[in-house]
Amino acid sequence: MEMNGGSDEEEFGFSRNYFLAKELGGSGKKSTHKLSDINIVDEQELRAAADNIEPKHEKEIEDLMKSYKSLYPRWVFELRCGFGLLMYGFGSKKALLEDFASSALTEYSVLVINGYLQSINIKQVLIALAEILCDQLKTKRKTSSENLSKVRQSFNSKSMDDLLAFLNGPHVDENDCFICILVHNIDGPGLRDTETQQYLARLASCSHIRVIASIDHVNAPLLWDKKMVHTQFNWSWYHVPTFAAYKVEGMFFPLILAHGNTTQTAKTAAIVLQSLTPNAQSVFKVLAEYQLSHPDEEGMQLNDLYTVCRERFLVSSQVTLNAHLTEFKDHELVKTKRHSDGQDCFYIPLTSEALQKLLLEISQ
Amino acid sequence: MEMAVNSVSPSEFDSSTPPESSEKNLQPFFILHKASSRSSHRRRIHLSPSKSVIKTDDLLLRMEAFQSVWSEIHSASKDVLRDINTSAFNDIYHWVRQSFHAITSYGMPGFGQATRSFPLLTHATSKQLFTGLVLTKNMEFVDDLLTFEELGLCLKSHGCHVANLSSTDFSAKNGIGGCLRSLLRQFLMVSLDAADMSILASWYREQGNYNSPLIVIVDDMERCCPSILSVFILTLSEWVVKIPIILIMGVATTLDAPRNILPSNVLQQLCPCKFVLGSPAERMDAVLEAALLRQCSMFCIGHKVAVFLRNYFLNQDGTVTSFIRALKIACAQHFYMEPLSFMAGALFEEDNQGFQGERNVLLEGMLKYASELSSPDSDTRAEQIDTTLTCRLRELKRLQKCWSSIVLCLYEAGKHKIRLLDIFCEALDPEAYNSVASDNHTGLGKGFGISTPSDPSMRQQCFTMRKGGFICQAIQKVRLLPEASLSQLLKSWENLTVDIYEIHDKVKELQSMVKLEEGRISKEDLTDICILCSNDRRHASWRRLNIESSKRINEKAASLIDCMVRDFLRPIECLPFHEIGCFRNVEKLQLALIGDPRRRVQLDLLEFHKILWCSCCSRSCNIPLPSMPDTSIMYTLAQEHGDLINLPEWFQSFKTIISHISTKGKRKTKQSMLPKKTKYINESEDKSEASIQARFCRAVTELQITGLIRMPTKRRPDCVQRVAFGL
Repeated sequence: MEMNGGSDEEEFGFSRNYFLAKELGGSGKKSTHKLSDINIVDEQELRAAADNIEPKHEKEIEDLMKSYKSLYPRWVFELRCGFGLLMYGFGSKKALLEDFASSALTEYSVLVINGYLQSINIKQVLIALAEILCDQLKTKRKTSSENLSKVRQSFNSKSMDDLLAFLNGPHVDENDCFICILVHNIDGPGLRDTETQQYLARLASCSHIRVIASIDHVNAPLLWDKKMVHTQFNWSWYHVPTFAAYKVEGMFFPLILAHGNTTQTAKTAAIVLQSLTPNAQSVFKVLAEYQLSHPDEEGMQLNDLYTVCRERFLVSSQVTLNAHLTEFKDHELVKTKRHSDGQDCFYIPLTSEALQKLLLEISQ
Repeated sequence: MEMAVNSVSPSEFDSSTPPESSEKNLQPFFILHKASSRSSHRRRIHLSPSKSVIKTDDLLLRMEAFQSVWSEIHSASKDVLRDINTSAFNDIYHWVRQSFHAITSYGMPGFGQATRSFPLLTHATSKQLFTGLVLTKNMEFVDDLLTFEELGLCLKSHGCHVANLSSTDFSAKNGIGGCLRSLLRQFLMVSLDAADMSILASWYREQGNYNSPLIVIVDDMERCCPSILSVFILTLSEWVVKIPIILIMGVATTLDAPRNILPSNVLQQLCPCKFVLGSPAERMDAVLEAALLRQCSMFCIGHKVAVFLRNYFLNQDGTVTSFIRALKIACAQHFYMEPLSFMAGALFEEDNQGFQGERNVLLEGMLKYASELSSPDSDTRAEQIDTTLTCRLRELKRLQKCWSSIVLCLYEAGKHKIRLLDIFCEALDPEAYNSVASDNHTGLGKGFGISTPSDPSMRQQCFTMRKGGFICQAIQKVRLLPEASLSQLLKSWENLTVDIYEIHDKVKELQSMVKLEEGRISKEDLTDICILCSNDRRHASWRRLNIESSKRINEKAASLIDCMVRDFLRPIECLPFHEIGCFRNVEKLQLALIGDPRRRVQLDLLEFHKILWCSCCSRSCNIPLPSMPDTSIMYTLAQEHGDLINLPEWFQSFKTIISHISTKGKRKTKQSMLPKKTKYINESEDKSEASIQARFCRAVTELQITGLIRMPTKRRPDCVQRVAFGL
């Protein structure tokens, strides 16, 4: 059982690495560098610069992509054998897969799902697939087309189960009548939830469907249980690193130096505050001042806030104060926390420096 | 089919996307293209002598070969999995009939009563729900999906109405409505929005089919949401008087499972009955036997592949389903990679259909084509090769059949103690065989004959030489077999070796010896009884003689199997032309079967020069160079950090490295925890600063997409978290 020994060794290496890393983090003096130490450029400039990053190793990457072309016939062969193809490895595989689909899969209909997007309506996908299949069947046997056109009209009103049953149907005895689904980032944010994965798995097991998918996240296989892997997706894995930039896939990720950065949030907070009434601004100031003068407390209790605001004639009743607070909460200027004695208390989710900057800005 | 790869212009992979496609990038889904109208190439292959026609169809031929071979293996394994459960299924059906009688004996209510949703006034026992608990002896529910599907089909074939539910139907999210809807959908064959049992009741009544029960099968009860399952059972028990429902649930762990999951008031409603299925190891052996040994599909696997699959089954996955899947991948890869593999399909079909008309022509054509493949220049040579090839292939097939038969003989010998999978792996080992073959050259062990135990040189060889080997153990078992099982074993050998006449004869010879011995012994027994009273001493000596003579037969049987092993157990990899049907590429199989993104993606980043083969970065060993891809630099740097990476520090080190372009030469970029304030030339600093920051951001985003780091939390806004430690 040589394999066994190998994996034990690996496991040991893994845990050792983990604890070494933990130690390194814990024992070494806590790094005190702050993001504010870097002189961060303006977000717009950053985005513009990000769009114009000079690519490295262009030639090598191109050669690599070309070398994968020799795998295309093999991929087609495996698709026809009934497997799904799962591509992994570092680098965007979008261009590669689309090139494969448009050069080697011309005899099959191909539907592309952009899994990197935030939300994908899987039912719409199923309806589209059912329509394609319906068209294909119609051209295959013209005689029974009346029957099918009736089916088609009602696709929109059909349930998921019915749609899946239609795609799984034994409409033709021909083995080779299938639609390919190309899923970019089947582990992407829009597809990551269990329910969608279950539907995708059921879809993949349909007789008229083959799936070609890419994953980027190292833990993506955790999305699937054994039933999905062995009986539904039926993956054949391919390691195809491309080293191509994740341009489209990374589109919706916030830039780390632009996001969460104090100047930036203070600025956006200031913009929001300036659009509010002077009274609302003053209520916010009360809360900010309290937070600055009591840095160790969890926040300001509602009663205290109300008392101070009333004293300064900022609000006349609890109702008006609540209206202001709701407004703040909606814009994420203020958040609530349960105090240790059970009362709700309010705080501004900004650091002291950012808060000071903000106060300066709105009092100008 | 047009499979040729067209040459591409470099711009095809251009990452700068045209506006039209960038719009598509933002659509959740779109249709890339519809199927082009193609000439239907569904035709039988009529091989004409002109080779140009065949060449383009080469892959198509192999595809058809794969399909015929695989469909055979698949259906064989499916059949055997069903057969293994036949007796359990029969028991279940018997119990179903009994339960149904019990339910109907309470008397069926009239239509109006039955379809009303309020309860009937009956005594408590009539609310009992007959429940079959099927112990699967297997935590891997994947293997049992098929079992329960087959059970459903089996019961349907007996006229029952069956609905198969799974744990996904019992989710807390969909609630009781979800599983009732699924139930109605399966019984009524229409989907309804309303989930009401009275619909089911009136359907059952309208069917007018009082003679068959409704069976609800839940394949994995432990994975169901307990509260939903409880409500479901209570609902069913309320209705059981009106609709004769019988519940069957799969239990993976122990019989305690229902008690652990369901509350007592629900348990009270159940009237359970236990059924047991075969264990995974038994199923594995049965599948192996059916798929690779019983039927000669011409597809087989090499020793390394077999060992890999065995270890994968025993140590990693443990499901028969994954074994079959692995076999399918191996099969597909074989037919894709091996140019001559299409002949395996032809040979197999020849076997299946007998030598008739078209098939025969097909094989001849294939052979011709194959010989053309191997020697394209001369015609006369091709013909020669053609005939020799035909002989060779038939010989290959014969030898392979012999091998399978002997393996099965060994399995029969060691049954219930030694796993077929183990014997199979050992019997495939070409190394064990080769050491023997070289011995054979010296003249030892030639010919066939039953060697006597007094001839130790014979027994020293072969697989039997491996002390503690499974084959050796199996042979040893033959020596110790009691008489009754020995004659049974010989009977099974007789059946298995029908095609190998040399052995078949010997087995028959042995059988007659056993019969003779039996006859003698029974006679002696009679005399024994007579003598018994007169002389105790003599009786004892008689018995000893008996034991000795039966020992002699055992020894003969052992030598016979020993001989069979020596003469016929030639591992497939040692046969000429084995490449046609034998898949040996274990690395390829492993890669396709088990993707390892966690390790691979990290390796991609750390050792990217092994993939890109660029001249600029290969000289570095773990020292980040400015020419490396940004993400690789960042990930290499991240290796020096603990589980938290301080963003500013990371940024500074990154900046230091990529700004080294101008001061190249000195290797100042030693790994450093703290950034060195090196002097980099600040030409157009603002612009480069922005671009450095942008590159940093991009690299962080890419690492985030691969899941290797986690974004800063509120608590630690300046740190990202490392997720992967070690490969």
